Amino acid sequence: MEKGKTIIEGFGLKRYYQRGSETVKAVDGIDIVIRSGEMVSVLGPSGSGKTTLVHLLSCLDAPTGGSLLVEGVSVEGLSEDELAGVRRKTMGFVFQKFYLLPTLTVAENVELPLLFLRKQPDRAATMEVLGQVGLEDRAEHLPNELSGGQMQRAAIARGLIINPRLLIADEPTGNLDSENSKSIFDLFGHLVRDKGISILVTTHNLSLGRLANRVITLQDGKVVKEDRF
Amino acid sequence: MRFVSMAFKNLRRRPVRSILTITGVALAVAVAVSLAGFNLGYRNAIERSIDRLGFQLMIMSKGCPYEAATMMLKGGTGLLYLPSEIYEKVRNDPDIGSITPVFIGIAEKEGSGIRDDSGSAFAIIAGIDVQSYMEMKPWLEFETGTGFENGRWFKVDSEDEVVMGYEAATYEQRKVGDKFLATISPQGAARSIQKTFRIAGILKRTGTQDDGTVFLPLKNAQKLFNRPNELTILGIKMKQFSGAKLQEFESRWLSLPSVQVVSLQQVKSTLVMLIGTAQTMIAAVTIIAVLVALIGVINAILMSVYERTGEIGVMKAIGAFRGDIFQLIWIETLVICIIGAVTGTLVAISGSRLVEAAIKKLINLGVQGSIVLINWQIITGVMAGAVIVGFFAGLYPAWRAASMHPIDAIREGE
Repeated sequence: MEKGKTIIEGFGLKRYYQRGSETVKAVDGIDIVIRSGEMVSVLGPSGSGKTTLVHLLSCLDAPTGGSLLVEGVSVEGLSEDELAGVRRKTMGFVFQKFYLLPTLTVAENVELPLLFLRKQPDRAATMEVLGQVGLEDRAEHLPNELSGGQMQRAAIARGLIINPRLLIADEPTGNLDSENSKSIFDLFGHLVRDKGISILVTTHNLSLGRLANRVITLQDGKVVKEDRF
Repeated sequence: MRFVSMAFKNLRRRPVRSILTITGVALAVAVAVSLAGFNLGYRNAIERSIDRLGFQLMIMSKGCPYEAATMMLKGGTGLLYLPSEIYEKVRNDPDIGSITPVFIGIAEKEGSGIRDDSGSAFAIIAGIDVQSYMEMKPWLEFETGTGFENGRWFKVDSEDEVVMGYEAATYEQRKVGDKFLATISPQGAARSIQKTFRIAGILKRTGTQDDGTVFLPLKNAQKLFNRPNELTILGIKMKQFSGAKLQEFESRWLSLPSVQVVSLQQVKSTLVMLIGTAQTMIAAVTIIAVLVALIGVINAILMSVYERTGEIGVMKAIGAFRGDIFQLIWIETLVICIIGAVTGTLVAISGSRLVEAAIKKLINLGVQGSIVLINWQIITGVMAGAVIVGFFAGLYPAWRAASMHPIDAIREGE
């Protein structure tokens, strides 16, 4: 994919919600652009709005203000299924909890998104993706036979199987030790460099976050700092 | 990997719960199949037994016609008698094709295993006129082979010969030429008489009450029971059997005192209707079993959905449409119901002989042959019912899962 091409643009994004009589401004007027071939970290303390921002950018939640364009097309007013269609075309996901289905093998878990795309899985392609995350020898294992770091790598492979333009990872190292966390971020860096995909990752770990090309720091739902490396 | 294979794999996650849920469905299906099989089998058995009586009409002493017909089918005491002169009057009726007089008496058989409802041992003795009886029942044949050679009907004037039905002979372990002992209480006599007969022949199995009957010449039976001028029934075949002809016939002969004309077709319908009424109550129990199974299925699938809330959220995040999630959960429900239905049907088929033996041991249903008949219509109908139940049972859990918002579902799962 052409490097530097805009994938997601958010203008004045807001996500307010009511908690009793109080209005909580989880995301409060953020402008953000994610381009191809870059890895963007969103840093900030708990409650700063990192996860809410990622949910808005990944079309999992609707903003209460501002506008969002995915590959140049506004997603405003789209139904839940239409938003799912946008996600399955453009984005792969990695979550803090790995959410691998325990009765499916690693390879079957990786192929799960293809089931929803009505695409016949190609085992060679699956093995290639598993090779990218270093799990080619674990393809026929069940998730409970993997370590935490391996499970997250399997989840990353599941996010990559549809060849997304953007991989969204929400606190992917939240359940991992420092060594595994570092190796996951190294893997992200490798995927950006070698595969040319973009990665949007949230973390509260400053040292890991700084491994990205761009670091956006949030505080109280606003961008307080943006650094490029 | 398809939705169906994924549904199977999901059910393996909680094997005990899945097996219990499937067992619930299987039990309900087994009850439904067995009941339907009993319903069909028993109706057929009644129709077969009545048809194999060989008569279209019976003339008998006044009383409950259904009780009398049932007694004819299953045997019993307390029979009513009609005067022999009725036979002489009726036999020349222009609508009668053939007629046979039958005298039935009960001989006590101490130590015999042949028992009636009251628990006393007895043997059903039928005095018949062989020629007219065989016109009614041309299928009656003598058993052949070792021990049964030279089987024949008794002579008309014989006083010490009998012909035994197949089961009566088997039960008494008798062969042709053996003796048959019976204790008979003649009408009005203070003491019973012990009578020894010689067995002239043993009939082949017919699947009717004839199998358990001991046949004597009509005159001899009347004499032994001291009812020389009495009969139990007149069995009749009409030249032309129709509702109008039957009505004409009835109106001609109902004027006779203490006599009634009973159409076996009418008896058959009434017995089947009575059975239907009893079976409605059993059907209610089946419906309750099905409802309990239905609730069990909904509960199990809902629990499974709630346990997988986070996973469902992630599946939606990675691109599953509402319809995909609905389909996945719904197929799981259908798989449970189909496996349960197949298991329940197999249990019902393999256990049908046991159920039949148990029913026959507990209750004398008054019919011979199989009373449980499980055919393809029943199997197809019950399987279709199970799929329909699964269809509805899966709707709510599937809708709940499909309606989950991905963000809320992921949060709930964390």
